[in-house]
Amino acid sequence: MLERTVATARFLAGHPVANARTGRTPHTVIHRDRRARLLFFAPAEAKHAPVFVCMPLINTWTIFDLLPGRSVIEALVGAGVPVYLMDWGRPGPEDADVTFSDLADTVLRRVIDRALRHAAVRQMDAIGYCVGGTFLAVHLARHTDTVRRVAFLATPIDFRASGRLARWADPATFPLDTVVDSLGNFPADLMKTSFAWLRPMGNSAKWVSLWERVEDPAYREVWAAMEQWNTDPVDFPGEAYREYVRRCYFDNALVNGGWMLAGTPVDLKKATIPALVLAAADDHIVPEAAAFALERAWGGPVTTKTLKGGHVGVCIGKALPTALLEWIRA
Amino acid sequence: MATESPNGAPDLDKLSGELYRNWEKAMTSWWDQVLESPAFLGAMGQNLSAQAQARSTYERSVDDTMEKLHLPTRKDLVRVARIATLLEERLLAQEDLLLAMKDRLEEAERHAMQARVEAAEARLELRETLAALRAEVAALRGEPKAGEPKADAPDTKAATRRPGKA
Repeated sequence: MLERTVATARFLAGHPVANARTGRTPHTVIHRDRRARLLFFAPAEAKHAPVFVCMPLINTWTIFDLLPGRSVIEALVGAGVPVYLMDWGRPGPEDADVTFSDLADTVLRRVIDRALRHAAVRQMDAIGYCVGGTFLAVHLARHTDTVRRVAFLATPIDFRASGRLARWADPATFPLDTVVDSLGNFPADLMKTSFAWLRPMGNSAKWVSLWERVEDPAYREVWAAMEQWNTDPVDFPGEAYREYVRRCYFDNALVNGGWMLAGTPVDLKKATIPALVLAAADDHIVPEAAAFALERAWGGPVTTKTLKGGHVGVCIGKALPTALLEWIRA
Repeated sequence: MATESPNGAPDLDKLSGELYRNWEKAMTSWWDQVLESPAFLGAMGQNLSAQAQARSTYERSVDDTMEKLHLPTRKDLVRVARIATLLEERLLAQEDLLLAMKDRLEEAERHAMQARVEAAEARLELRETLAALRAEVAALRGEPKAGEPKADAPDTKAATRRPGKA
C-alpha cells in the first residue's frame, strides 16, 4: 500500500499531465477559418475515399488522436483513409458574438468546401463526434450536396433524453441569458466543472484507479494523456451557446421542430443521405436514447450500433476504429 | 473471509478497497439525490447567476480603472481583435468569391473545350461525307477513285522513261 502511494507520488511529481504528448499522427494544416483549422492526415497509400471529421467545439480534437495505438485517426490513416479533421480552435472574447449559424452554416460549409477541393472530389463521407455531430447534422440538413454518407458518434439529438445534463439545462433554473450577457463566451472552466459534477464520484475514482494501477506504465501513459485532454476544455462562443442551449436543450428542437436559424428552418428530415449512429454503452453524457433519436428525426436511412465504452473512453478503444472502417469499406 | 490473508491476518489492501467501494456507492447515491433535487438546482442557478454578474461587474471596474490610467482596457483589446476577425472574415469571403469564379471559369473552359471538340468532330464528319460523295460522283462519271490511276490515261512515267532508255 505504502509502496503504491510512493509510486503514485513519484509519478505525479514528474508532471506527467503537462508532459503528455497527444495528437502525434503527422498532419498538415490546409485551411484556417477564424479560429478553426482544417487538418489533413495523409495515408502512405490512399486505399479508400477521404473522410471529413467534425470534432466537438468544447474540447480539443486530440481525443481522436490521443496516443499511438489509441488513436482513431492513426487507425483510419493506417488503413489507407485520407482524413480531413475540423478543429474548431479556441475562441477569444472577440468571438462572443459568433452565432450558431456562423459556425454551422458559414465556417463548416467553408471548411468542408476546402476539404473537397483539396481531395479533388465532389462529395465525401463525414463523421461527427458529440456536439460536433449535432453541428454537422444541422449543417447537413441545410447544405445537402457535399456529403455522401455520415456517421454520428455519441451525438445528442433528443436532448431531453440526455440524462442529468438535460435536467440541469432547465429554463426555470439555468440562467442562460444572464450567463451569456455577463460572461460573453461560456467559460471552459464552468463547462469542465459541470461535466465533472455529472458523475461526482468520478474524480475520486480517477485517483483511486491511478493508485491501483500505478505500476502499469501503459496505464500511466493513458491516464496522463486523458487527464491532459480532460483538463483542457475550450470556451463556447457566447451567442452560439445561447442558441444551442435554447433550441437544443430548452426546446428540444431537433426532435420537436420549430427551429428557425438565420431565417430558415432547421429540419433534419431534409437530410436524405444514409446515416450511421454509434452510441457508447456506458455514455452518461449522451445515452443511447439521446443519440438513436436520429432514427425518428433524420430524412435518410439510419443504422444504429452500440459500442463498448463511455462517452470519451469509446474514442480510445479498438471498437470505434473497427466500426468506422467497416462503415467506410461498405 | 475475503478480506483476510492466508495467515488469517486482515488484508489491508482488500479491506481498504472494499471500504472505498462502499463509501463510493453511498456517496454516489447521496449525490444523485442532491444533484437532481429542484431546491439544489434552483440554488445553483442563483449562485451561477450571481457569480456571472459579479465577474462582469469586476471586469467593468477593472476596465474603468485602466481607462482612468489611460491604459488600454480589455474592451479596447476585444474591439481591435474583433476588427481583425471581421477583416479575416472579409478576406475569407473574397477567397470564396475567387474560388467560385475559378470554378465558373473552369466550367466555362470545359464547355468551350467541349464545344470545340464537337465542332472539330462535326467538321471531320462533314469532310468524310464530302469525300464519300466525291467518290460516288467520280464512280458515276467512271473516273477512278482518288489515288488510283485513270484507266484510259497514258502511263506518263513509262512514256517519259522510254525515250531516255532507248
